[in-house]
Amino acid sequence: MRPTLEPGDYVLVNRWAYRVRRPRRGDLVVVRDPELSDRFLVKRVSETEASTQIPLEGDNAAVSRDSRAFGAVPLDRIVGKVWLRLKP
Amino acid sequence: MSLLYSLARALDRFSPAPVAYAHCDIPCGIYDPHHAQMAAHTVVRMIDLINQLEKPGPNATPEQRQEYNAKLARYVFVKEQHAEIAKSEVRILWGDYFKPDHLKTFPDLHDLVWKALKSGSKARQEINLQAAEDLLKATNDIASIYWKTKGLETMTVKAPYPTERQTVYPKFR
Repeated sequence: MRPTLEPGDYVLVNRWAYRVRRPRRGDLVVVRDPELSDRFLVKRVSETEASTQIPLEGDNAAVSRDSRAFGAVPLDRIVGKVWLRLKP
Repeated sequence: MSLLYSLARALDRFSPAPVAYAHCDIPCGIYDPHHAQMAAHTVVRMIDLINQLEKPGPNATPEQRQEYNAKLARYVFVKEQHAEIAKSEVRILWGDYFKPDHLKTFPDLHDLVWKALKSGSKARQEINLQAAEDLLKATNDIASIYWKTKGLETMTVKAPYPTERQTVYPKFR
């Protein structure tokens, strides 16, 4: 997710963000990896459709494993919206 | 360093937060045992250079001692670095490339990886030519298996480096 995030950056996640509204295109979100549920990924919402499946993309499309690999992600797999990014 | 970052880091140390990965292992499919073999050659070469280095005698001047120390430090540094590169490359092949099917055809693969990592550590820790030779042999054996899994025959020839050790190369058609 460079240059948005670098290894070692901290993100503060708002877990309640999507209780009041739907994810919007461009939101940075933390999601449970659809292929490995005990690990978390940071991705960007790529479209907003009126469905419960949210397509995600990495900022570096050429090298990202994202919804092209694992499909759109159910809303309940999204942990929350990145609220703050902290860089050293 | 920003205050908030320092605060987050302090909190993280006190109570570690889960890690979110922004970038994961892409199974890119691009592997080559040559990196490991080359790193093993470098380890052999560094040990040769260390052994060829003339040790300063009791009447050596401070400048001669300094030159000896500087050369020794450089050779040791590169030896350790490349032993680690060889180990890392072997681990990548082992962990990412080789699959259970390969193991059925080449049941001694695990043992070979074990030998490569052990001899790599020994060659890193000591000035031990035998350990470096063992590391090179293990990387050659792994290369031989790797190329067989690609359906290619291999040939073992003298490397075109100052080490001149026997090295496994694929026979590209």
